[in-house]
Amino acid sequence: MPSWSEFEPFIVSGLALGGVYALSGVGLVVLYRATGVLYLAFGAVGALGALIAWSMVHSGGLPPWTAWIACILVGGVVTLGYGTAFGPPLAGRDPLVRAVATLGLTLILAGMMDLLWTTSGGQARSLPLPTDNGGFSIAGVTVTWTEVIALAAGVILTSGTGAFLRYTKLGTAMRAMANDREITATLGVPVRHVESAAWFGCGVLAGIAGLLLQDLVSLDATTLTYLIISSLAAALIARLRSIVITFAAAIVIGLIHDLATPITALSNYRDMTPFVLAAIALLWVARNRTVMSRSREEA
Amino acid sequence: MNRSVHWRTRTAAAAVAALSLGVLAACSSSSSSSSSAAASSSAPAASSAASSASSSSAAGGTVATSSCGTKPGVAATGTPINLGTVNTDQPGTSFTDISNMAQAYFNCVNANGGVNGHPIKYYIETEQTNPSQIASEAKQLVQGDHVVGIVGNTSILECTIDHKYWEGLGYDIIDSGIAPECWSTPNSAAVNMGPRYSSDGAVQYAISQHVDKIAFDQSNVPGTGYIAAGPQAITKAANVQIQTFTTNVPIQSANSVALQLVQAAGKNGAVVLNFTPPEALKILQAAAKLHIQNNVKLWGCSTPCDTDFLANALGTTFDNKLFVNAELTPADGTNTTTMNLYRAILKQYGSNVSGGIGSFSQFGFVEARLAVQALGTITGAYTVQSVNAAFKALKNVNTGMLCDSWTYGDYAMHIPNNTDYTVTPNKGQMLLVPGSGCLQISTSDPQIAQYVNLAGRAPADPTTAGS
Repeated sequence: MPSWSEFEPFIVSGLALGGVYALSGVGLVVLYRATGVLYLAFGAVGALGALIAWSMVHSGGLPPWTAWIACILVGGVVTLGYGTAFGPPLAGRDPLVRAVATLGLTLILAGMMDLLWTTSGGQARSLPLPTDNGGFSIAGVTVTWTEVIALAAGVILTSGTGAFLRYTKLGTAMRAMANDREITATLGVPVRHVESAAWFGCGVLAGIAGLLLQDLVSLDATTLTYLIISSLAAALIARLRSIVITFAAAIVIGLIHDLATPITALSNYRDMTPFVLAAIALLWVARNRTVMSRSREEA
Repeated sequence: MNRSVHWRTRTAAAAVAALSLGVLAACSSSSSSSSSAAASSSAPAASSAASSASSSSAAGGTVATSSCGTKPGVAATGTPINLGTVNTDQPGTSFTDISNMAQAYFNCVNANGGVNGHPIKYYIETEQTNPSQIASEAKQLVQGDHVVGIVGNTSILECTIDHKYWEGLGYDIIDSGIAPECWSTPNSAAVNMGPRYSSDGAVQYAISQHVDKIAFDQSNVPGTGYIAAGPQAITKAANVQIQTFTTNVPIQSANSVALQLVQAAGKNGAVVLNFTPPEALKILQAAAKLHIQNNVKLWGCSTPCDTDFLANALGTTFDNKLFVNAELTPADGTNTTTMNLYRAILKQYGSNVSGGIGSFSQFGFVEARLAVQALGTITGAYTVQSVNAAFKALKNVNTGMLCDSWTYGDYAMHIPNNTDYTVTPNKGQMLLVPGSGCLQISTSDPQIAQYVNLAGRAPADPTTAGS
């Protein structure tokens, strides 16, 4: 068993990883609460924005800040385009169908990125952010400002979107629409505008997440696209409802994952962490429901 | 009415999407893709004119592409010689640069006299790690395309799946190996070392720098035990500790991987990686961001790290800190006739080589060149028997890209490339480590010992940079 001092740096890296999962996980839940769609293309859209940003800097010679804005806008435009084209026709379909449709977008984007930004010939890319250059030291490792920003973004996103959905008119309309689109429309809510705002907003979140994650994890289409799978576990633990629980679950997943790394017996199994925790949480929820319904019946 | 408004909205959305795709295409760094269909290598007449021949002049040396053939500017018009190849091409793993570069070399040869007047027709098959697909493609090449030789195979599974088939038909393959059977069977001779021997080389370099422990990490894919056996044997012989790891890819938490490896190696140890460039880059960048790259004596990596993409992405953090085993002459800062010819052919004929200059295209160049040299020795008909006998007869060939000369020979196994270079990042390029020269892979690895017992060590290639 490693000593405490050997564990310390893994706590720092675990928090950073939790921040990474939180960014995507919270974005997923926000969109689900706003549109009722489990947007599995969240990671792919962010990756697309990041790769376009990389091309703008490396091939186009443009200043980095224009590329960062482009990355965020690409996320918004692609997501809005998808939502406008496929949102209404799929609105009445089963949630599973709507989720699988976004998986279609994921695969199209993943294929396109593999074709346009090939890794053949050993091509590896990176788009470092200036915030990588500064930071502070904890437990013998450096924490960069990018990691701090990612964690802060997760917190701000959690509290900000939570408040937005609860207290603003547009947020309330989004929640209503996610529950029942038809009834919301009959109440006079301009569902198309509300829906467009939700899709675009979440696309922007995907773009911001893509920009940060390409720096924190890797500017690699496959990695960023499928990062969503681990983040999905955090969202599932929160049953796609609570943004706060999603955030907390993501941090716990990151911490457990990294703390298992120096333990030889567990190290090779650490990538199972998100799925094991999600399975435990879902079983626990299912068991609680059964117990509660039995109690009600007995009462 | 409402329906028409919806239709217009969707049309507008589709237009936005189409426009975005256009922008994407313009932004993309890649301009071409390879075809999975069989490709003819007959060069267009226009490009065969001597006057249009491209030339390369790195650091003063100039080589015209027309020197690839025996009759500069004269297109080959004889009966085509059919050659074939099978390459893995799937998202995240594509080796088509190797066959595309071989195709470029053959196009050059065809435009400049061909092989005794015969053009080479090259059939490229791609596969997606599906065993039945790989087996059927081999049959297609033989029965459908009537190829008389197999050159440039680079596939995760092909050697494993097809080696018995080739042995049965009498084909002797010139390839870039990945699976163990590419080196351990009688009918396959690779121009590369593959992950095991390249990892051996990286570990040997670390040992030569007097490290006391090595943390060796590789991607968690089938065959890791076979690969790790080499470094384990070498460290055991040198009385140096080794701890081996496997990491799932794509890596999501590079920070924890970097921390784990640095802790395992210790202050006077080395971390040696065996990953594809994007995955290795994640670990190296994580170490740099955590500022732990100097917590070990040095970092090592097998051949895949030998790319300028990686050197560029790392900046100067790992200059003279990361030492990469290079199976071929480093492309940067090397001014030899062969390297200049390679660059010139790549420029004129290699528009499909998406990765440009790098190990993959160098492999394709060497394999095609070996094949052409062998074919040139045949005086009669180009049959399966004559072509493969010529391949097998290749002995002590100076490729201009390997440390030692290259021999096929009639052996039960083939590891003809068993001496290599060590490079290090230097201001965005991968350059030879000054004074490092060529490094023979140790016979402490039992596989190398077995091959050296059979074939001996080849003489040094006097035309390469490191000799």
